[in-house]
Amino acid sequence: MKKRLWWIFGPALCAGLIVLGLVVVPVHFSTVKSHSLATAAVSLKKNVLVGERLKDEAVQRDYVPFMGSSELSRLDAFHPSVLAQKYHRPYQTLLLGGPGTQSLVQYADNQSLLQQLRGRKVVFIISPQWFTPQGQQPDAFAYYYSPLQTTRWLLGKRGGLADRYAARRLLQMGNTKGGVHQALMNVAAGQPVQGLLRTRLQISLQILQNEEGLFGRHTSAKNQAKIMQSAAKLPFKDNQHQLATLARNMGAQATNGNQFGIRNHFFDKRLGGDKLSDLKGAQAKFDYRRSPEYSDFQLLLTAFAKNHVQVQFVIPPVNQKWATYTGLRSGMMTQTVAKIKTQLHQQGFMHVLDLSRDGNQPYFMEDTIHLGWRGWLKVDQTVKPFLEQRQAPPQYRLNDQYFTKTWQQKLIH
Amino acid sequence: MSAFQPYANPRYFVMLLVALVPLIIGLLRGRRHRNYETLVSLVFIVLIFAGGKWHEGVALIGYVLWQLLLVMGYTRYRHKANRTGAYWTVILASIAPLVVVKVTPVFTVHPSLLDFLGMSYLTFKSVQTLIELRDGTLQQVDPLFFLRFLLFLPTISSGPIDRYRRFAKDYNTVPTREHYLDLLQSAVHKLFLGFAYKFVIGYFLGTLLLPKVAHSALVHHHLGGGLGISWALVAYMYVYSLYLFFDFAGYSLFAVSLSQLMGIDTPQNFNQPFKAKNIKDFWNRWHMSLSFWFRDFIFMRVTFALMKHRVFKNRIHVAQTAYLINFLVMGFWHGVTWYYIVYGLFHAGAIIVNDMWLRYKKRHHLPHNRVTTALAMVITFNVVCFSFLIFSGFLNTLWFK
Repeated sequence: MKKRLWWIFGPALCAGLIVLGLVVVPVHFSTVKSHSLATAAVSLKKNVLVGERLKDEAVQRDYVPFMGSSELSRLDAFHPSVLAQKYHRPYQTLLLGGPGTQSLVQYADNQSLLQQLRGRKVVFIISPQWFTPQGQQPDAFAYYYSPLQTTRWLLGKRGGLADRYAARRLLQMGNTKGGVHQALMNVAAGQPVQGLLRTRLQISLQILQNEEGLFGRHTSAKNQAKIMQSAAKLPFKDNQHQLATLARNMGAQATNGNQFGIRNHFFDKRLGGDKLSDLKGAQAKFDYRRSPEYSDFQLLLTAFAKNHVQVQFVIPPVNQKWATYTGLRSGMMTQTVAKIKTQLHQQGFMHVLDLSRDGNQPYFMEDTIHLGWRGWLKVDQTVKPFLEQRQAPPQYRLNDQYFTKTWQQKLIH
Repeated sequence: MSAFQPYANPRYFVMLLVALVPLIIGLLRGRRHRNYETLVSLVFIVLIFAGGKWHEGVALIGYVLWQLLLVMGYTRYRHKANRTGAYWTVILASIAPLVVVKVTPVFTVHPSLLDFLGMSYLTFKSVQTLIELRDGTLQQVDPLFFLRFLLFLPTISSGPIDRYRRFAKDYNTVPTREHYLDLLQSAVHKLFLGFAYKFVIGYFLGTLLLPKVAHSALVHHHLGGGLGISWALVAYMYVYSLYLFFDFAGYSLFAVSLSQLMGIDTPQNFNQPFKAKNIKDFWNRWHMSLSFWFRDFIFMRVTFALMKHRVFKNRIHVAQTAYLINFLVMGFWHGVTWYYIVYGLFHAGAIIVNDMWLRYKKRHHLPHNRVTTALAMVITFNVVCFSFLIFSGFLNTLWFK
């Protein structure tokens, strides 16, 4: 009977052990091919953002993270990724962000990356639209939640105000479970993550890493194809004057169907029919001046400063015609931008490209709040020299007051 | 705490398999630890309905007590009398909760409070017991055993639908060691086949491919004169049909496998259905425990009733009417929506046409060879896939949403 039992259960047992081994034993996965990496870096897929392998390998090979949100997907001919590829710039773009990725998602999902970036450069597009009274939307957070990065964060050296604040915010998002949840409670209470809980997290970190190594490499080549298409429309030489004319012409052609200077495709799809009339005056009550987002943003600033990352910030404008139509208050926007800039400048983040007054320029925006043709070109005029030339080492002076409710609620004129 | 889903994740399998180890060792030594088995079943049922689904648990308890009352009451009655009126009263009382649950969505968006996971499958078992009591093929029902039969853990959520006497035969004996080793071997094979079906192939088809095809079909909803007929819709039809098979067959393999580990040879649900040569053959291979139930307790009964009362002179009309009723009931059982009902009628129509063709073929001595058999398989497969497109409810989304 024993022999027969072995023949029945032996293969199943072996299969189980092999799977367990693949999942729990530290495996060294082969490096990513440069072609796949190029595709993944611009794919804007969730698995790139929530993972760590592709991002970490990318920054080791001259990719510069462009962090932001939905504007990154506006891949017209003047998008940073297109310009970098077409003109073989010394840097390539690693696009990190999507609809709903605000400061907290960027912070939580880029834990391994932030450490890899020590002494390197980053471009960060900070949208005023993130700074709603609620801050990070929990739904979007849940969608972009990365157990891998959160576990890694928890296993690092934790303590201090920033970490306790971060743990509290992550718990508020309400989708953490199991060991991660318990450990977050510890950090939020200023307690260390140790003993059995720590072992549990270490095992699950290994499992998650192997899972990513085994299954995390699939990305979509859609954006890379779009970039190639866009690049084909650009002149052979990287000439500011020629590019400016082309941007004006392409913008004019793509937005000729409506009075807002919004790309026709977007206008027809998102604002067509009755939707437009419903939106008249709809943003009169929008207010970005008081938000927990300011403190979430401070988490990122803290991480950048601690790792001596050189950051070029970009504050995009709102399409002026659209803002007027929807009743978005310009005074409120000015104060929002002033508050963001205060927080940056006071702590030594001096590379801030403020485009908030350019919303009235023609063909600057692709649609309502997303940069397009001439807007991207304007970004390039600052980003290109920032990335291509050596910058003076930054002198950051962090201030914990930005984690307080007082700052979140404060008005800056 | 999130509720426990039968066969949904590795945790469920590991916990259940570990819990079954003492039972397996017992069976290998020629003992069936019935109390331990009952305990394991109870713990798992509590886990399944604990947490967010507690109201389903309450509904389950109420439902089971109601069925127990009906079956025990009818057993006592049946020893004294055998009136048709009484029989139909208990049958109607037995299916009443299910009818309420199925009809509720027609009137309101809120699901019925009586509903719980696996209700329709329990109803089959209970009704079958009542019918056999009426027939006299079953004379004694032990209340505790009836509960064990009804709540048999591996099949509680979605079958296969076992029969009372078949289950009792397995349960009341202990398989010989040789036979039990055969069962174990089959169980391990089925478990792994089920993993491949449900978690590899079914996942690929249902989770990765189907949403893409569905999206593409919805984008083309204006084609075909507003009927949305596009290549994407054709692709949806095949992908959905294959997904339905691999998902459900995978699930059924788990249920049979776990039963076999517990020394119960639960009947199979699928036997290579896409190899069917005609629609009748298909129903002998697809969701077999359901189609055999319908055959035995709806089709045959209707046929006998029609013959007994001489409703039709022509025997062919008897069969055709019985098919229509049979599949219409099956359609309603799936749910009171137009597409389930059309699905039922479509299969009734297909089987009637198939019968007519077979008679024609016999009369005219048409050729029968490998080529015609292959052609028959291809036609049957496509007819079945089309019926699943109706069944999927996707046309409802495509046309009316």
